[in-house]
Amino acid sequence: MSLLVAVDQVDKVFSLSDGGEYIALKGIDLTIKTGEFVSFIGHSGCGKSTLLNMIAGLSLPSSGVLTLEGKKITEPGPDRMVVFQNYSLLPWRSVRENIALAVNSVYGDLPKGDRRSIVEEHINLVGLQQAADKMPDQLSGGMKQRVAIARALAIRPKLLLLDEPFGALDALTRGNLQTQLMRICDENNVTAVMVTHDVDEAVLLSDRIVMLTNGPGAEIGNILDVDIPRPRQRMEVVEHPSYYSLRSEIIYFLNQQKRIKKLRARKTTAVARHGLEKVNLELGFVPLTACAPVAIAKEKGFFAKHGLDEVNLVRETSWRGIVDGIAGGYLDAAQMPSGMPLWFSLGGHNNRPLPVVSALTMTRNGNAITLARRFYDQGVHSLDSFRAMLHRTPDTQRRMGMVHPSSMHNLLLRYWLAAGGIDPDKDLALQTIPPAQMVVDLKNNAIDGFCVGEPWNLRAAMDEVGFTIATDREIYDGHPGKVLGVREDWAVAYPNTHIALTKALLDACRYCADPENEPEIRQILSQRAYLGTPIDYIHLGNPTTKVCTLDKPMREYAHHLFFGDGANRPSRTEPLWHMAQLARWGDVPFPRNWLEILERIVRVDVYSTAARELGLLDTKFTRGHIHLFDGTDFDAEDPIGYLNGLAIKRDITIAEVVLDGRMAALAA
Amino acid sequence: MVTQAPSRTQPRSNRVLVSVQQFWQKRAPDLIPPIIGIAVFLTVWQLFSWSGATRLPGPLSLWTDTRTRELLLYPFFDLGGLNKGLFWQTLASLGRVAQGYTAAAIVGIAAGVLVGTSPWLNKATYPIFQFLRMVAPLAWVPIALVALQQNQPAAIFVIFITAVWPILINTIEGVRQIPEDYDNVAKVLQLSRKDYYLNILFPSALPYIFTGLRIAIGLAWLAIIAAEIVMSGIVGIGFFIWDAYQQNYISEIILAVFYIGFVGLLLDRLIALLQMKIAPTRK
Repeated sequence: MSLLVAVDQVDKVFSLSDGGEYIALKGIDLTIKTGEFVSFIGHSGCGKSTLLNMIAGLSLPSSGVLTLEGKKITEPGPDRMVVFQNYSLLPWRSVRENIALAVNSVYGDLPKGDRRSIVEEHINLVGLQQAADKMPDQLSGGMKQRVAIARALAIRPKLLLLDEPFGALDALTRGNLQTQLMRICDENNVTAVMVTHDVDEAVLLSDRIVMLTNGPGAEIGNILDVDIPRPRQRMEVVEHPSYYSLRSEIIYFLNQQKRIKKLRARKTTAVARHGLEKVNLELGFVPLTACAPVAIAKEKGFFAKHGLDEVNLVRETSWRGIVDGIAGGYLDAAQMPSGMPLWFSLGGHNNRPLPVVSALTMTRNGNAITLARRFYDQGVHSLDSFRAMLHRTPDTQRRMGMVHPSSMHNLLLRYWLAAGGIDPDKDLALQTIPPAQMVVDLKNNAIDGFCVGEPWNLRAAMDEVGFTIATDREIYDGHPGKVLGVREDWAVAYPNTHIALTKALLDACRYCADPENEPEIRQILSQRAYLGTPIDYIHLGNPTTKVCTLDKPMREYAHHLFFGDGANRPSRTEPLWHMAQLARWGDVPFPRNWLEILERIVRVDVYSTAARELGLLDTKFTRGHIHLFDGTDFDAEDPIGYLNGLAIKRDITIAEVVLDGRMAALAA
Repeated sequence: MVTQAPSRTQPRSNRVLVSVQQFWQKRAPDLIPPIIGIAVFLTVWQLFSWSGATRLPGPLSLWTDTRTRELLLYPFFDLGGLNKGLFWQTLASLGRVAQGYTAAAIVGIAAGVLVGTSPWLNKATYPIFQFLRMVAPLAWVPIALVALQQNQPAAIFVIFITAVWPILINTIEGVRQIPEDYDNVAKVLQLSRKDYYLNILFPSALPYIFTGLRIAIGLAWLAIIAAEIVMSGIVGIGFFIWDAYQQNYISEIILAVFYIGFVGLLLDRLIALLQMKIAPTRK
């Protein structure tokens, strides 16, 4: 496929009537290949139609260049025919005359008979033989749009541009027209660009979906590849394993844009009180049993007790939300998977190192690996039999879900698979899926298994859709689960608040660890504001409760460790293990300056102050060696040697990771 | 054969009667209120005139006054000079209106398209047009007489200058209001100038142009009466009124006024009909 359209560093600025300027689009880079169907999606006013109009040549960029087949686009032309949102049929011309106007104007040198047959051919193409002599105002919206499509296709444009073509139609008509358009595009190998705000339409029709951020200064937020094979049938598309993840990706993006807009409008200022720099905090969490300390600190008043009167918990359904919240600066702090502060600092997010520090490990354990129930019935009861099964059926693509590349679940799952001789990227495909969606996807056979925190393993077992094949107690007992993460610039700006926050959460962790409180905690977690799931699915520490119908192998399900025995103190060896594992799977480079990085992001000083002020004495300095189920001990003295000794790994890069200076970060 | 004749005409007249009856039944709700309205108006006027509070004769004087009755009954007499039936008087005025109005339509639409397509020209001419538009038809009469020296062309000029502004201004607006979508279609298809004018500009601006034409025909008719009153010594309904006033034939004036009103109404309906035929309103 050759390059058809190139959009290179395009800006569009409108001058306003009051003399000001509105920057609609900024730094747009995009290429479109011949035969591709590309959609632009975004909220109203994000400039997606503006971009389309610039490709059409109806408006020109303020800076940057658009080219069609290497030639600069300076004016509109019939090689880039547009299907307008409101059809733009000429009301004083019949259907046939409307199409004929285009054909006569473009093919003026063809004999009359040929032109007439082109017109008739395209009337037939969209099935409007009966209405060919009607005037546009005698037609329904769907028919008008079909005329507009026929008019556009009749002149054989190199590029078909559709501006919300089905936006004004009812659902049934829209569906029919989408199917027709898809068929026509497939049969005639049409290159098309479509502006839409219908997520399903974008997924159904497109090869690529370009998502635009909100204006002013809208940019391309992300481009999704739709890997659903063509020709597509609506029902097959809906059942394709990628469909829901693409869909949720777009919806997540759009929701995020909406929230950013709201947050931009709000612009909170720090409220200083009780000797703390900021008591109004936005604290992000993901609903999991492991969010207990966060929920308890709020519900049982630990935040208020330590002076943080205005803590607002922000419930995110996926770790993506936490990442965007921290990167975008609209979350003050968040519950994070143990690897996330590192992942941020090493440039895991958009390849831009963002120093994020951690002063508290809130939970340990509480994770497990679940496989679909049918594997249990096929006799897959262990890692070995799982490997054997995978290697027996190499042609079947198996998928497993995890919640975020930096989460312990991903690292545990990969470690477990690799230890069993399974390459997690070659023998399987791992997908990032929000925790709450795992069980649903397992039920729909969109995935074959997952690694996630409770209550989802328990729930899969209780609902008889899956079974726990391994828990973290077997793989890496006592591993860090969730930590408290804040941006380094935030920690520098609000040092006392950071200590108070650590104190409040540590206090809450202590509360959670008391078996006396368990019924209350389970009850709080089951509320809608937190997990919103029946209390039966939520277990904290009692491993003997029999909850599922499987006779063997019974695993211990709930085993969250919230407090005690050095559990909460941030360790330096554990992040190093994470660092090695993230590098092993190619997510981030292994930093040559790993000692410096660890010193920066592990804030033992904050933890130590908080613990002392709570009257807790530092008991131990290390948690000892990291010991894993395959018998290897992780040698913290020689991480690079450890990496080199691994059998299953990706290409590992070792690089100096330069973190911004603290003061520079503060200024930014 | 002879005996059959009545039996053939009988059902036909019956049919006519039936269709009139049907027409009446269907349209009665539309027709009864205006009929009552007109009857009340004329009655009040007549009573007012009988009461002696005014010298103005009542509508019945059209019949009771002999001179007026003759004018009413014989609109087609022609005794040469200015002594002609009201039909000829009206026709003469209409002829002038037709000439002036046609000139106004041609100039107004052509200039309107020109100005409407050029934002610069539009800005340049806007104050002039708005200024000239405000000058009353009667004020043009002395200017026209001085400029053209003769009554006939001066009268036509007054019609022209009165009628041209609404046509011009509406055409400009119509051209400026062409939906951007239609323009975009033309741009994308790279329509030739001729194709653009014929297929986009005129059809799109036509409703506006007709609005201008309808306003203009009313104004033109108003203006001709005024102009003829001032320009004495020509055949025309306007001068007829002036002449009747000079000779104190008040009921003749009333008759002429009925003519004027009726012709004005006809003219307006005519343009409306034309608009319906050429540019029906679309959803």
